Amino acid sequence: MSGETAARYVGARVQRLEDPRMLTGRGHYIDDHVVPGMLHAAFVRSPVARGTVTALDVSEAREMPGVAAVFTMDDFRDICQPTWSTITGRDPNALPLKPLADGDVRFAGDPIAIVVAESRYLAEDGAEVVDVDLDAQPPVLDIETGLRSAIVVHPEIGTNLAAHIDAPAEDEKIFADAAYVVTETVVQHRYVAVPMEGRGLVASWEPGRGELTIWAATQAPHEMRSYCARMLGLPEHRVRVVMGDVGGGFGQKMFVTREEMAVVLASYLLARPVRWIEDRAENLLAGGHARQEQATVSMAADADGRLLAARVHHTENVGSYSTPGTGSVGGGVAAFFPGPYRLPVMSFTNQAVYTNTCGRCAYRGPWLFETVAREQMMDVVARATGMDPLELRRVNVLTDDDLPYTSATGVRYERISPAKTLEQAAELIDYDGFRREQAAARAAGRYLGLGLSLYVEPIQTRGVLGSEGAILRIEPTGEIMLIMGTASHGQSVETTMAQIVADELGCDPESIVFLQGDTAVTPWGPGTGGSKTAVIAAGAAHLAAGKMRDKLMRVAEHVLEVSASDLQLSGGRVHVKGDPEAGASFAKLAEAAYLNPAALPADIEPGLLVSARSVAPPSTLSNACHACTVEVDVHTGEVTILRYVVSEDCGRMINPMVVEGQIAGGVAQGVGGVLLEHMVYDAEGNPLTTTFMDYLLPTACEVPDIEYGHVVTPGDTAGGFKGMGEGGAIGSPPAVINAVADALAPLGARITGTPLGPPQVLAAIAAAGGE
Amino acid sequence: MAEHRLEATVNGREVTAMVEPRLTLADFLREKLRLTGTHLGCEHGVCGACTVLVDGAAIRSCLAFAIQMQGCSITTVEGLTPDSGELTDVQAAFRAEHGLQCGFCTPGFVVSATALLAERPDLTAAEVREGLSGNLCRCTGYQGIVRAVQSVIRSRQAASSGQQAEAGAAQAAGTTQEAEAGAARAAGVAGS
Amino acid sequence: MTAEGLLVKAAPFEYHAPETLDEALALLAEFGDEAKVLAGGQSLVPILALRLSRFEHLIDLNRIPALRYVAAADGVTRVGAMTIQAAIGRSEEVRRRVPLLADATARIGHFQIRNRGTIGGSVSHADPAAEYPAVAVTLDAEIDLASVRGTRTVSAADFFTGPLMTTAEPDEILTEIRFGNHVQGSAIAEMARRHGDFALAGAACAVELDAAERVRTLRLGLFGVGSAPVRARAAERAASGVAAGDLDPVAVGQAAVAGLSCVSDVHADAGYRQRVAGHLAGQVVARALQEARHG
Repeated sequence: MSGETAARYVGARVQRLEDPRMLTGRGHYIDDHVVPGMLHAAFVRSPVARGTVTALDVSEAREMPGVAAVFTMDDFRDICQPTWSTITGRDPNALPLKPLADGDVRFAGDPIAIVVAESRYLAEDGAEVVDVDLDAQPPVLDIETGLRSAIVVHPEIGTNLAAHIDAPAEDEKIFADAAYVVTETVVQHRYVAVPMEGRGLVASWEPGRGELTIWAATQAPHEMRSYCARMLGLPEHRVRVVMGDVGGGFGQKMFVTREEMAVVLASYLLARPVRWIEDRAENLLAGGHARQEQATVSMAADADGRLLAARVHHTENVGSYSTPGTGSVGGGVAAFFPGPYRLPVMSFTNQAVYTNTCGRCAYRGPWLFETVAREQMMDVVARATGMDPLELRRVNVLTDDDLPYTSATGVRYERISPAKTLEQAAELIDYDGFRREQAAARAAGRYLGLGLSLYVEPIQTRGVLGSEGAILRIEPTGEIMLIMGTASHGQSVETTMAQIVADELGCDPESIVFLQGDTAVTPWGPGTGGSKTAVIAAGAAHLAAGKMRDKLMRVAEHVLEVSASDLQLSGGRVHVKGDPEAGASFAKLAEAAYLNPAALPADIEPGLLVSARSVAPPSTLSNACHACTVEVDVHTGEVTILRYVVSEDCGRMINPMVVEGQIAGGVAQGVGGVLLEHMVYDAEGNPLTTTFMDYLLPTACEVPDIEYGHVVTPGDTAGGFKGMGEGGAIGSPPAVINAVADALAPLGARITGTPLGPPQVLAAIAAAGGE
Repeated sequence: MAEHRLEATVNGREVTAMVEPRLTLADFLREKLRLTGTHLGCEHGVCGACTVLVDGAAIRSCLAFAIQMQGCSITTVEGLTPDSGELTDVQAAFRAEHGLQCGFCTPGFVVSATALLAERPDLTAAEVREGLSGNLCRCTGYQGIVRAVQSVIRSRQAASSGQQAEAGAAQAAGTTQEAEAGAARAAGVAGS
Repeated sequence: MTAEGLLVKAAPFEYHAPETLDEALALLAEFGDEAKVLAGGQSLVPILALRLSRFEHLIDLNRIPALRYVAAADGVTRVGAMTIQAAIGRSEEVRRRVPLLADATARIGHFQIRNRGTIGGSVSHADPAAEYPAVAVTLDAEIDLASVRGTRTVSAADFFTGPLMTTAEPDEILTEIRFGNHVQGSAIAEMARRHGDFALAGAACAVELDAAERVRTLRLGLFGVGSAPVRARAAERAASGVAAGDLDPVAVGQAAVAGLSCVSDVHADAGYRQRVAGHLAGQVVARALQEARHG
């Protein structure tokens, strides 16, 4: 930051600029968007998990009132060209996506046909009479079967092994000689993102202009643009993607999905705008699943509890048509399994398996199983060694003296503070006081528990993810516009970037109008997600603001005939230092820059427009410690969270209110994931949880008050900001699981993963004989 | 199927429309009246994003058919905003406490919280959470939402006790005029 | 094969809004199986929206003011079928005379649901995990069913025959439900995954003691566990005549679920339901006895 303008807004809890329109019902979400003449789409979907399409008759549907068209893969085949994601790059192992089922169906919910009609009501009427004959076949639903079975989910790939990793280590002797060796199979069940707004788009192909316009609920408009341009063989600059307000995404809206492809193709064939708004049942059924994986982990420790080695065999159920790439997160789990500890040796194997279930998509911290598994194992080691879980972590955590540290998996750790957050979380939760309270409660027949979770969060900014762009314009009348390639959908970017610019230009954030999400206007960006906004977007905004500041100073020198060294920026003006009256407003400077260009010195370009792109370091790490206390009702299996504490370090914070909000949302998803949310299939591959009656999201009664502590270790980034948006979801599941396990330990109950709904809790108690 | 004539009041304005029976109140408000502040998060009556007031009572507009609203007075989130365009105290509190991120659930929460507090102005922390449990949020973890509702409860209580204190003091002083002026000043405070 | 269950806009129907019960009955008689009555809509509309069921005709009962009332006289509280759940929750008469009904109301869903839902709708819908059917069975409520053929009264004990199934004929409308006074001691408890969810297991109890604090009647109903709410008759009989101080509520609860056949679904298996129901039954017996003895 410039030394001349004080940080008035960066670091402060500035109220959001997004809020007034959202609070008054004047946000503009995709379902609010009207394109004149638009038609409405509904999908016909497979009712079975696997089968061959023996007949597909859309003739009756085509005749239904108000139905404009019914398309199947046959209609799309010749116009749908191979395409791939710019963000992930072309993955030779990934299955290219076809918009609709092509002769066979691979999961219950697989889209078979798209009906386009005058209204959604009429499209659904049409969908009901599409006649599909399916020869249902036995599906592959679980990892074991997927690996053994002759049934192949994707025949064109030829194997159900979507991905695998073999990274052995020389550890025989270590395990043989270790004082303690523990082995556990940690299970994580299938749960899903559930943004409150599902997917949706309006696609409009105008052949006369040769232009495709897509209004979409997306997290990455430029990604959608290039993906769809390739799909139709259009030059990218003939495709425009526009996002308005978007009701959450959590990864589901980062990449283009099959239904979205179908909608674009339908518009292309009809030369009419086609709209599809995903309903909740579709979103749960087919919007992209996540999290279903497990690992058998062995950990070796010495007599003092120091970790010596780990062996991890990780398997994942990635479903069918999984994304991004193959849908596997094995690489991330491998890289970060050691976490913020000194773990000298690790061997890792992974198998990602296709099944006839809905495919994976990215979901907030897709690789977070590394923390879920490792933090549970830390408590397993603690119980084996008789050490307190806090003490065990203290013995193993990376301290400042250890840094920089390269992990057994080659990750370089620096600028992190896991030991500090561990101590701060322990202090905030009153660790020793709780242990006393716990003992007293046990004596009275009540079961309280405490869980810790310590992790580092990688912010991936390598390659295509490493740069964001910002354009700053001051209009001829003096108003400021900030135009960025971001795709904020709850991350408060409109506010945080305005804070950065406001500090640099000495104006108020309210004076800045923010524009994002329109590929015709905004600079290219890799989308919003993956915790990188504070790194790349803030960097771009900061650079652009610095350039504008310099430009304003030079124009002011000309207008005021005062040297820049005697000028300062404040109050939305440039003025002589210490004399606010002796200056010029931005409006006056803009007037000079735009309206009287000939009078400008030769070395000042007319106008007030600058642009900049940030380049981020290849990776950045944040870290945090979660601590959670619970009470378990051993009669009903209900878990009540008593207190929840997060000590986090994301470097300098642009807006602590926004940081805490991101943590809270992630924690709620972890709490929900462990205690309530479960995406269930029956033995035939039929989904059983496709409404909110059965897929249970946490409400205000299930998420406790969250208490925060902040540690600040600046990043090697502009402003020292680091990202953190996924962290809440990463740290929370094991904190809750460990707390339940700690509560039930005296009963001998072993908790080895999730789900942990009341029936599972009672079952664990019963299995220990603790009736 | 035959369309029916519907006459209702929406946000203080009389509305007449021909509606198909199966058109939900939510879709009527959004599609026919272009009041798109009411959102659809599930369309099966669980998430609360579609909450509106019908004759003052908060209901899920996806679970009512528009035609059932004959003669009713409906208030959507847009109708909460006074002519001045200022945020209501509930809305301002949501903003101050960071009770929204993506904003999709927000109108449902604002309408529900407004109705909840009108009916029950004094709630414990647990009662606040119970009262809000019919609305789902996926972004905020409910932290700012709960704090916002609690802060409105406190502010309204402070304003009304200020009003009572002023009126009481004036009465003690024995002057009706002063009592009225005090109440008016306190009401001005409460409304700000 | 069709795409059922993946749709959220209802199939088309004709809409009727009669203003008297007789009009409604005539319409129901005319259209038979093709018609469905619409009360609060909180259960029916999602079913229609998801196209799990469809009807050619919907007969809206919300325009019949004669069906909304709470009337108390002679030890009986009469509740009109279309009385809104929120109104029942606010009713002084209900609170004083049938407090179990008031307590149950607070557990129904969320206040937005209770602002539209009706007692007649809930009882007719007969969800085995719903609170009102459980209270009706526990308190031996009487249910009036009207049709063009006249009105008949059914005891709650005979009314619920299975999940979402009752003895009401397709052309009958539930018009009134009647409760005796149950003021001495009552309690309801349920185990739901979240506040306001349908119960995975629940118990309701009402108890009357004589002057010597012996049990004159103990009513114990279980819900959420099987295909309909049930009374724990054997446990009730065993408690009859026993001094309140000699009763072990936990044992009564265990007796109540002995041999109880429970359902399994995605939320809980039968074993869980039975176990938790027994625990909750013990709790409500304890609380009801406590209230009856000490007020």
